[in-house]
Amino acid sequence: MKNKIKVFRAMHDMTQEDLAQAIGVTRQTILAIEKGKYVPSLDLAFKIARYFNVNIEEVFTYEPGVQAVHID
Amino acid sequence: MKKNTFYLLGGCIALVLLTLFWYSVEINSPLLIEIAFVLGIILVYILRRRVTDLIEDERSRKITEKAALRTFQVFWVIFCAFSIGAVMQILRVPTFPRQREPMRPPTEIFPPEIMPPKIMGYVQLWLLCLMIFLYVGFRFYYARKYGDWEIDEE
Repeated sequence: MKNKIKVFRAMHDMTQEDLAQAIGVTRQTILAIEKGKYVPSLDLAFKIARYFNVNIEEVFTYEPGVQAVHID
Repeated sequence: MKKNTFYLLGGCIALVLLTLFWYSVEINSPLLIEIAFVLGIILVYILRRRVTDLIEDERSRKITEKAALRTFQVFWVIFCAFSIGAVMQILRVPTFPRQREPMRPPTEIFPPEIMPPKIMGYVQLWLLCLMIFLYVGFRFYYARKYGDWEIDEE
């Protein structure tokens, strides 16, 4: 699962801390998502997309065949 | 309540529990520290719910769950292995005299070989330490795996 959170953050001139506070998670979680270390839940993914006023597909891209790092 | 205040109060509770543990040993009354321990943990849980600046999101919850699950998966095997041994001690029927000690006079009566309480205490302490180490180890492992110590590029 790839994402463009970093791009959207840059477009909105936001730090990881700003985004984390806005959606109610820790900065480490934003960092882990950006680095691909953690795949967020649908709920959190929608929150991030809604925050940037875009569709979820614009922020997150599913790549078949790529091993997703997910806690389950 | 601030996070640091909670940690400070947690430290104070730990100190009180340690003092009560020492006192319980002195007066030889385990009931005191057992009740105090349960009350102390309940107090810590209540205090933790009042902390306002401690953010627990889905990732941190997942890491905690994963570490707890793995600890349980490893610990129950070891705990059951010990428990089976302990149950065998209960079910054991003593034989008099023991055949493997033929040199002793036959009139001497030996008590059945039951695991002494002191040894039981040591084993319990070892199991407790093992559980804590397992949990902390798994917690660190999963925190690292899921990006807790990633280098920030900002």
